[in-house]
Amino acid sequence: MSNMEQLELPYQVKLQVFEGPLDLLLQLIKKNKVDIYDIPISKITEQYLEYLDVIKQCNLEVVGDYLALAAQLSLIKSRMLLPQMPSEDEVEDPRAELVQLLLEYERYKNAAEDLESRDILGKEVFIRGLSYFDEFGDAAQETEIVKTDLWSLVEAFKEVCLRRQFELTEDIVFTIESFSIEEKTSELIEFFKTNRKYDFKNIFNKMVSKAEIIITFLTILELVKNEIIGIEHENPEDEIELFYIGDERLEQ
Amino acid sequence: MSNKDLKKLIEAIIFTSNKPVTIKELNFYFKDIETKELRSVLKELIADWENAEHGFNLVEVSNGYQLRTISEYSDEIINFNKEIKKFRISKASLEVLAITAYKQPLTRLEIEQIRGVDCSGVINQLLDKRLLEIRGRKDVPGKPFLYGTTGEFLETFNLKSIKDLPTLQEIEDMEPELKLDF
Repeated sequence: MSNMEQLELPYQVKLQVFEGPLDLLLQLIKKNKVDIYDIPISKITEQYLEYLDVIKQCNLEVVGDYLALAAQLSLIKSRMLLPQMPSEDEVEDPRAELVQLLLEYERYKNAAEDLESRDILGKEVFIRGLSYFDEFGDAAQETEIVKTDLWSLVEAFKEVCLRRQFELTEDIVFTIESFSIEEKTSELIEFFKTNRKYDFKNIFNKMVSKAEIIITFLTILELVKNEIIGIEHENPEDEIELFYIGDERLEQ
Repeated sequence: MSNKDLKKLIEAIIFTSNKPVTIKELNFYFKDIETKELRSVLKELIADWENAEHGFNLVEVSNGYQLRTISEYSDEIINFNKEIKKFRISKASLEVLAITAYKQPLTRLEIEQIRGVDCSGVINQLLDKRLLEIRGRKDVPGKPFLYGTTGEFLETFNLKSIKDLPTLQEIEDMEPELKLDF
């Protein structure tokens, strides 16, 4: 299937790069620099729910898995508020089970990174001629043109959404919302042809409706997936930038 | 057959094969040559290539022997040969492979319990890529499939055998930066 055909399908987001709720939770723990054995549940839950909002808005099919963990976090939070019964011999930390899950997941996440660091056939080392592995060369979605991690991107998008909501309260405009990924695709390609490189957040600057913002975000993800634009994020403090790679793939 | 001839012949066999050549296959063909001798010839061949500092080496992988390029020039090789598509794999796929590699055979549910997310799509992709295979069914209600890694998995990740993987404890010990920087 050519990339063009893919883009013409009604939009449905299949983001297998989403590593899941436990991954998000680990990222939050890392970002807040807190001890995994002593997670500040209130704070982390709050941040987790903010991300969940973004994931929900994008209509991602994975949302169910995230909701389950959100419920678990809320339950732990409420248990933490209850006074411990003095009669109980062993006072169990309500977080204990979650910590075990996180540690177990982290172990395999590290093992996955260890696998990735090996001399991979078709990437670091090659055999004579073409091996049957070559047919899978472009199958995976992870591309080198993405120089950031997913959560930074979602974080930036979250900020865009929050900023827009704030402005909307002062200036309510009624419009018929009709945005399609197809239109946005050609619009963004034209935009990047002239601008080459652009700050991710500023792309959304002139947009008024939430629907347009979300469609634009999804279109960006599509364009990155199809290697038409790339994402760059040199330092965590820097802004995320999008850059144009080319649309020769579309023309093929 | 002299040792020298045997060495050249085995080298030629490995050169023409597109899969790693196993001791078992060599045993089957060279019925009157002892396994010990075959192994020592292979060991010599590995050392020969290594010492001669070539662009490729004889490597022990997936329970066999294969000629593979050295890793220094991967970018140039891809640039030169446009037919080669660089192997790419998502983080999600790597996680499913890692879990399977260490806990096989196991069911989809058991993989999902560790990752906390639906893995059916990723598992199907990995089955298509022949990095995972179905090993049978688990004797529990619903008789779910049990999954395991394949020889292609060993080939892809440059592993002699599944035992060649570092233990989870070793990974934790030797790569503290991974642990902090997840």
